[in-house]
Amino acid sequence: MAIIERPGSDTTPAVVTASQSLGAVKRPVETKGWKEWLFTVDHKKIGIMYGVVAMFFFIVGGVEALLIRLQLAAPNGTILSADQYNQMFTMHGTTMVFLFAMPMAAAFANYFLPLQIGARDVAFPRLNALSLWLLIVGGLVLNASWFLGGAADGGWFMYAPNSGPVFSPSNGVDYWILGLQIAGVASLIGSINLIVTVLNMRAPGMSLMKMPVFTWMILVVQFLLVFSLPVITVALVLLMFQRSYGATFFDVSQGADPLLWQHLFWIFGHPEVYVLILPAFGIISEVLPTFSRKPLFGYPFVVFSGASIGLVGFGVWAHHMFAAGLGPVSVAVFSVATMAIAIPTGVKIFNWLLTMWGGKVWYTTAMKFAIGLVMLFTVGGLSGVTHSVAPSDTQQTDTYYIVAHFHYVLFGGMVFGLFSGFYYWWPKVFGKMLNEKLGSWNFWLMVIGMNLTFGPMHILGLQGQPRRMYVWTEARAGEGMFNLAFWNLVASIGSFILAVGVLVFLINVVYTARKGKASPLDPWDARTLEWLTTSPPKAHNFDRIPVVHHLDEFFHRKYEEDTATHTMKKIAEGEDLVRAEEEAAEKDIHLPGPSYWPLVLAIGVGILGMGVVYGVPIMVLGGAIVLFASYGWVLEPSVAEDIDFDPPSTDGSTKEIAPLG
Amino acid sequence: MSHIDPVLTKEKAIDTVTPVKSSRRRIVTALAGVSATVFLTGCATNAPQDTFVPKGPNAKIIDDLNMIVFPIAGVVGVIVLALATYIFMKFRDKGQAIPAQSHGKPYVEITLTIVPALILTVVGVFTFRGIFDLAETKDTELIINVTGQQWWWEYDYPVQADQGISQPIISSGQLVIPVGTKVLLRETSRDVIHSYWIPALNGKKDAVPGRIHLLRLEADEPGIYAGQCTEFCGLSHANMRMEAVALSKEDFAKWVAGQQKAYTAPAAGTLAAEGETTFINQCSRCHQVNGIKDANGKPIISAPDENVYSGAAPNLSHLMSRNTFAGAMFDLVNEECRADVWNAKSEEFGAKYLAGVSEDCLNEKDLRAWLRNAPAMKPMYADPSNLEKSNGLYRGMPNLGLTEDDIDKLVAYLLTLK
Repeated sequence: MAIIERPGSDTTPAVVTASQSLGAVKRPVETKGWKEWLFTVDHKKIGIMYGVVAMFFFIVGGVEALLIRLQLAAPNGTILSADQYNQMFTMHGTTMVFLFAMPMAAAFANYFLPLQIGARDVAFPRLNALSLWLLIVGGLVLNASWFLGGAADGGWFMYAPNSGPVFSPSNGVDYWILGLQIAGVASLIGSINLIVTVLNMRAPGMSLMKMPVFTWMILVVQFLLVFSLPVITVALVLLMFQRSYGATFFDVSQGADPLLWQHLFWIFGHPEVYVLILPAFGIISEVLPTFSRKPLFGYPFVVFSGASIGLVGFGVWAHHMFAAGLGPVSVAVFSVATMAIAIPTGVKIFNWLLTMWGGKVWYTTAMKFAIGLVMLFTVGGLSGVTHSVAPSDTQQTDTYYIVAHFHYVLFGGMVFGLFSGFYYWWPKVFGKMLNEKLGSWNFWLMVIGMNLTFGPMHILGLQGQPRRMYVWTEARAGEGMFNLAFWNLVASIGSFILAVGVLVFLINVVYTARKGKASPLDPWDARTLEWLTTSPPKAHNFDRIPVVHHLDEFFHRKYEEDTATHTMKKIAEGEDLVRAEEEAAEKDIHLPGPSYWPLVLAIGVGILGMGVVYGVPIMVLGGAIVLFASYGWVLEPSVAEDIDFDPPSTDGSTKEIAPLG
Repeated sequence: MSHIDPVLTKEKAIDTVTPVKSSRRRIVTALAGVSATVFLTGCATNAPQDTFVPKGPNAKIIDDLNMIVFPIAGVVGVIVLALATYIFMKFRDKGQAIPAQSHGKPYVEITLTIVPALILTVVGVFTFRGIFDLAETKDTELIINVTGQQWWWEYDYPVQADQGISQPIISSGQLVIPVGTKVLLRETSRDVIHSYWIPALNGKKDAVPGRIHLLRLEADEPGIYAGQCTEFCGLSHANMRMEAVALSKEDFAKWVAGQQKAYTAPAAGTLAAEGETTFINQCSRCHQVNGIKDANGKPIISAPDENVYSGAAPNLSHLMSRNTFAGAMFDLVNEECRADVWNAKSEEFGAKYLAGVSEDCLNEKDLRAWLRNAPAMKPMYADPSNLEKSNGLYRGMPNLGLTEDDIDKLVAYLLTLK
């Protein structure tokens, strides 16, 4: 953990001496062991922790999914009771959206966004740590419900009035509200942080239109979050007051209209869909050009289509409500708006394909996942077009056809994009290559598993099997080729193949950690700035802040065009470029110091939230911790006092990289 | 290509081109297969809730739109996936030089934006027309109020002289409609949101408490059309089914007459008469049977609102004219008789359906099990321990603790409710 200024000696041990510290408002100086992670504000460490947390919840959500598929493998399943099943599908959706997909995108954004724009950290490093800890606290609150009387059971969309105290009498929905509120605060803080980072901290010369597409998509996502999260926050607050304090916002007997919740939820919920998919689009917009050895085809079109997907995404929420009784005019308008959003999405697909056109395509695992995304997302996108025809949607909505659709776009799209990112950036983060052979198994098992699981759901849905039913009955199954029994079984088998595919990835991670071979500096002949540093990157990212002249700056430092043949000729290796940066290292490098307060504050927020269920005293305790942490946060010195180091530093310049404490 | 690190050249060798090529072909075939299967689903008639087999003009409007958008999606899908496959094959690394770094061609981009926009405009125009056609309600010939509650539907036919309905009919379990008649359902709910869906007759429409939503149904042929509640409505959502029964206009008139027939108490001294007493003591707190009187000749009016959160329980007048019970979760007729009705030719269907449930046809097993312990048959909030937040009101039917004797009597009595 670098703290301040110039390279110092690597061997000076530095630990806190309690007697000499300044008490509650001192800054931590630990640079080793678990404390280093707990108190870090380094965007890279925070990114890795985001990734670990997200992967944990991916497994949790995956196990929930497998239980669902076990229950539905045969008619009248008895693995789960109706109550358990309802909790299971609610928590599967909630976990996958809020605790896997968003944090995993945050992991990538945290780690690579500063690197891609040539920055040393995000704009507000302590807020960044707070986002992480709040997310973890939110996830814990949400899942604590399993052990405290049952999880939420109203579906991830939690429609009123079924989410009210009478219809969902356990505390599951309360934990759900609180967990999402806390995780929502985390996302909101994170989004402001990243927006400021992108707008203010780009390397000299990097205009917005020279920014890597991944960074662009993350930027669009943060704007979506900033504008959509407050809406769900309001909805959750209303629901919390209804459930815990006797308010009647969704109580029909008091004159409420339950559609209020639906509008609020989907005004958040639809932009949320793009929050989930755009980071994956960003990732493969890095991967496809790298492995095609060509720039992204139509960079401005991809950027603007991403931005317009984000914008139009705010105007299509009611397509989730075509059967909700909105009246023909609203339905017609939202139907057409929904068709319109297919256009920028189609633009992206074509641009990715044309990026490969005329390229020199190298099929690594990262590339396979990226191509998998393009193809599977196309299938999901087209089934999406069939929903945009509102009358058709009234036959499709709330059936498995919808489940098929959004798993093609979210699993085939988002998850494949994230896996592409794992394989692409793993050597950057850990300095070791994920095994390509295991990667190939990983990919093919996931492709086969995914198509076997979600492909049949098209049939199930169009044959009239609704979603969210804890059992299905033979009486409605039919007998011919499209009978529900056969395809439900296929889907269940597919889900286990999919699970094996994910397991192979985890094996690959362990194998790579133990026996993986060290990665060269620039293993993929990459194009963007994050590769213009060591792997893993130094604490301060860049020895010298790069000056940017091109889109794909790193590539253009390595190659120049042969004017005769119009092909590219290598003029420098990545290693040479990084060495040159090291030799020209800046003398003054300032990095933010670690801090206790993000963690303390997050814990306080968690306790405060539990107070809604467990009463005012708990709330007061949580509030006190939040207040205390806020003061600590504000009063914290910008760097650790010299006296906190052991031996005490007498000269600020030698505190840097004090690693052995 | 000397720039490639030796480590990676080795890596790359693992992914030799040939196996990738053949397996990619396989996956493309599989994907195309999936799209084709989706499309062909339209030809299957086997699952009762198949969404591609319209049996009335409203469902036909939707089906016509499906026949536009599904083929377009299918064709576009095949073209894109085929193009993608071609590109993956053609431009794989065969040792060619790194190409010029071209950033795209605006005219290609613009073309690829405009073409989908045009296709979608065409789809949009037809969609517009479909939406407004389906919302048409001016020429309604029969109104039925449909009310959802956990976990069954109530059908209430208001007085409509031209349909022969001279007093309100309240029924549940099966929606009975005349063929060739423009029926308008006025949907609402007494508790949470439900959704009414008979795929063969129309798309779904949510039943929302505090609101009335309109859904048009019309059946071309006599028969039974299956449906299912499609808005998640809590514990027994999966068990909230419906069946729409379409009868010829003459048969519908007979059905209406049957539903308006006065109550006849079972003859004194019979098992059924004892059952009536049991019913009055145990069941009539919630379940209404129109015309039933107590020992003093005073009409008995049920008060479900004192016991059930939604404030309603199925009206059991003429129970044996229906083929289902408990929110259409169970058949009131045994399998043989059920098959006989479901598979009847359209001209014989009406007579078979109107015959009702005879003693021979009764599904005694499920009916008795239900009377013995309803919550064991269907997940419900019927356990006094979890009624705190609903002020002690049940959601669903509780276990009444009936003896086998009581059950014998009740079954005998229920069989008289023709």
